[in-house]
Amino acid sequence: MQQLMSIMAFYRSYVLWSFFINIFIVIVNPNIFAAIATKLLLTIFLWYLVNETSAKRKLVFYKNLGISTFKLFSVLFFVDILITITFLLLIKEFI
Amino acid sequence: MILEIDNVELNFNSKRILSGIYLKAETGRVVGILGSNGCGKTSLLNIIFGNIQPKYKLVRIDKKPVLKPLYLTKLVKYLPQHTFLPNLKLPSIFKLFHVDWEDFILHFPAFSKYKKTKINRLSVGEQRIVEIYLILKSNSEIVLLDEPFSHISPLQIEKIKQLISIEKLEKIIIITDHLYSHIIETSDEIYLLKNGCSKKIDKLNELEDYKYLSKGSLT
Repeated sequence: MQQLMSIMAFYRSYVLWSFFINIFIVIVNPNIFAAIATKLLLTIFLWYLVNETSAKRKLVFYKNLGISTFKLFSVLFFVDILITITFLLLIKEFI
Repeated sequence: MILEIDNVELNFNSKRILSGIYLKAETGRVVGILGSNGCGKTSLLNIIFGNIQPKYKLVRIDKKPVLKPLYLTKLVKYLPQHTFLPNLKLPSIFKLFHVDWEDFILHFPAFSKYKKTKINRLSVGEQRIVEIYLILKSNSEIVLLDEPFSHISPLQIEKIKQLISIEKLEKIIIITDHLYSHIIETSDEIYLLKNGCSKKIDKLNELEDYKYLSKGSLT
């Protein structure tokens, strides 16, 4: 639970970006598989960006709680996908 | 518990940073690491923690090799040189580390006004005190402290030294800092890093002999 709370704290910094991307997906192609592929690519890009910048330093916090970088980004991806799919299904009800 | 690190070889591009390292630390004793700028002190702590993967290393706990990064065992906590906490309210951070906020306030009453404050609103020195306290007090067997005395006022340094002397009873503490007098005072054993190798210091004047300190610095 402690680890999940910590990962959610990390996700909080990116939740607004994720929401804007969801809106973009709805406009361009509100297909769930396309959304999953887009989010997977963006998560890999974020991983790369964090690793290549000073943001990498912040990973020590998660490592201190026993969370590896792989685990951090995997959970981040699944939480984001869950929110994205829920968002798309809700939007489809209104379109 | 006994922690040993051995057979370390670390290169950055073609430059050899560490080779011929042996360090032993045990519960109840503080191990201090000294060395000039760029000698590999921070790299060594990162290697022990599992943050850097060198060409070779052997970390052993109670004689048994640890093959995965040490942080995955949850036995270790690491204070890096830079600030590392996410921008959350202080009590939330304490909750994540399972450290008692009220106990912290007893040690550092001046922080009681920050109960609803996010960490980034604090000064660098104040953030440092919070980080050191969390790392020292959270549940672990091994504590790695990289420059814990930097950015801290003398009065707070004394408090931190007291905390270290309490926590060392149940933990292995490995500490490094350029403020060598504090390291000498706090540590039970001292290792000097020079030319990529570690040298256990038995007598303090060896620090002068190895040209870490200038002659007469210790008098």
